[in-house]
This record gives sequence, structure tokens and C-alpha cells, in this order.
Amino acid sequence: MIFRAVEDTDLIRRARRGDVEAYNLLISRWEKRVYNYLLRVAGDREEALDLSQDVFLKAYQNLRKLDDPARFAAWLFRIAHNEAFSAFRKRRPEREVPGQPEFSGDEIPGREGVFPIELSIAVTTALSQLPEDQREAVVLKIYQGFKFEEIAEILSCPVSTVKSRLYTALDVLKSQLAPLQSRGVT
Amino acid sequence: MTCSPFDLRDYLLGELAESEHRQVELHARTCGGCHEELERLRITHSTLLALRDEEVPQRIGFVSDKVFEPSPLRRAWQAFWGSAPKLGFASAAMLSAALVIFTFLRPAVTAPVVAKADTAKIEALVSQRMDAAVVKAVAESEARQARKTAELLAAAERRFHQDLQSVGHEYAYLEKSYNVMLHDASFQTGDVK
Repeated sequence: MIFRAVEDTDLIRRARRGDVEAYNLLISRWEKRVYNYLLRVAGDREEALDLSQDVFLKAYQNLRKLDDPARFAAWLFRIAHNEAFSAFRKRRPEREVPGQPEFSGDEIPGREGVFPIELSIAVTTALSQLPEDQREAVVLKIYQGFKFEEIAEILSCPVSTVKSRLYTALDVLKSQLAPLQSRGVT
Repeated sequence: MTCSPFDLRDYLLGELAESEHRQVELHARTCGGCHEELERLRITHSTLLALRDEEVPQRIGFVSDKVFEPSPLRRAWQAFWGSAPKLGFASAAMLSAALVIFTFLRPAVTAPVVAKADTAKIEALVSQRMDAAVVKAVAESEARQARKTAELLAAAERRFHQDLQSVGHEYAYLEKSYNVMLHDASFQTGDVK
């Protein structure tokens, strides 16, 4: 992990000097994480892909403004967060909640046993029912593995706010998912 | 609510220090309520992780793609600022250019204009003062010279008199000696009268 971090900082330095290939390599390392973050926050593959393009373009244009290359991950996700929520604000009149579930919460399977595909649908549904800010906190913590301080930096809010959002979301998810799993596939 | 020494959610999310982590583990072994709560959280966590990361459906546009390609002007600008030697050379060139421009555009230093009449007056005054100073210096020098000559003459005269006196004394002594010798010789030959 440390070795990887050093390599990333080296790539960033090279990209800053105009080395296009170094930036290409950086994209290939981070595109999956950024795409999945945006997918879970936005709930739409096409939109997540468009946003990912915008994120990497913006990151490239602003790479010189990154003070500490070692903090590239938080900086990149900060851009992703801004891009996603900027897009949400633009489309809000048409669609109130991003990542609107493709099926309602009533359809969560569980009574007759759960298969992995159903489980992932159940998780997607449960996540989509969370408020935007709570869902994002869960995605950054559970799926992206950021520390509380890093999430606070990405979201530009205090650590206490991050914890509050995350704990509330976990309580909701626990009430929906824990009984499901204990009854079904373990 | 649980009676755990630290928040079970922080434990689950890996936000506790190692010692705190151990304390929660020990507590959960002996506390049924906390043990159950921890199990529910673990199940929730593992269920959430059932949602796997998806592959990116198509590669993200790379910098070499058109969408990322900066304009030629921007490329030149970035290349310029990215190169320390070029930057140094440019700085030196700018400094040189600034020096050249400064040299040519600098207002000429004008000598103070003095009226001709004033100049003539000053020259006359300077000449007068210089003549006076020369005359004074010459006079002083001559006076010094005359004084020295007089002193030398006086000294020479004194010495001449001293020498003359000394010669007189010696002559008197020789004369006396001669008389004594002459007397002695007369005495020996019996010519004494």
C-alpha cells in the first residue's frame, strides 16, 4: 500500500511535468474506484461514466493545484463528490432523488431464502433509499475504505457530521439487511 | 444502546486504536447484548460487501484522447512552465531585455546649466585666489629661505671666529715653545747673555 502510494506520487509529479502517459496510468489505477463510487452515489451507469470522464478531465486540469501528492485519493474523490452533486443539483427538478431504486423496497426478497444476486439487489435498494448524504458516507467508508478524517476532507464537513451520517445510515441498513441475511444465505 | 467501552460501529469500521479494539473484543466476549449487536453489525457489513465493484463499461477518456488534448498554446505554456532550464533561460532573457530597454529609455543625465557670465566671474575669482595663494606661498618660501641663509651665515661666521681664535692660541703656544727651545739651546752653548 505504501509502495503504491509512492508510485502514485511519482506519477503525479511526472504528469505535472506534462507526461501524458503517467497520467494515463494514474487514470487506469483509479477509474474503477471512481466509477463505482459515482455509480453508487448516482445510481446510474451512464451518468456514472460521464461523471467519471469529467472527474478525470478536471483532475488533469487542476493537478498543479494539488498541494500534497500523497493526498491524491481524497483530492480526487473531492472532485468526484463536487461533480456528482453539481449534476444532482442541475437535474433535481426532473428527478428528486438520485439513484432512485428500479424496484420498490417492498420487493426486497427474504421470506423464501436469498440468493447472492438477490442480496446485491437488496443492498442496492437499501442504499438507494438512504438520503444522499448518508449514502455517500456509507459508500466512502464501506466501499472505498476512507478514514473519517479523509471523508470529512472530501465532503468538506466536520468528522462529527461524517460519523453522525454514517451511524444513522448503519442503523437503517442494519434493520433492513441483518434480518435478511440471517434468514437467508450466510 | 450498548455498554461497550467504545462504540461498536467504530470497532466494525476499523476506526479504533489497537488497544481500544482489544478492549471491545474482550467486552463482547462477556457481554451478551454487545455480542449480539456486534454480530448484527458484522452481518450488515458483510451484506453490504455483497455488492461487488463493477468493471468500467468503457475506458475513461485518456489524456491522449481528443477530449483531454490541450490546445497547442496550452501545451506550449505547460511545457514552458514545466521546464526549469527553459524558465531560467527565459528569466535571464527578460532581465537582459529589461536592462537594454532601461539603458535606452533612461533620461539622460543633464549637467547643471551655469550662465556664461557666472562662469567667467568664478574663473576670475578662482584665478585671483590662486595668484594670491601663489604669491603668499612664494613669499613665505623666500622668507624661510632668507632666514635659513642668515642662520647658516651666522653659524659659519661663529665657526670662523672660533677657528681663528683656536689658530691664535696654537700660534702663541708654538711661539712660546720656540722661545723655550731657543733659550735652552743658548744655555747649552753658553751664548746666554
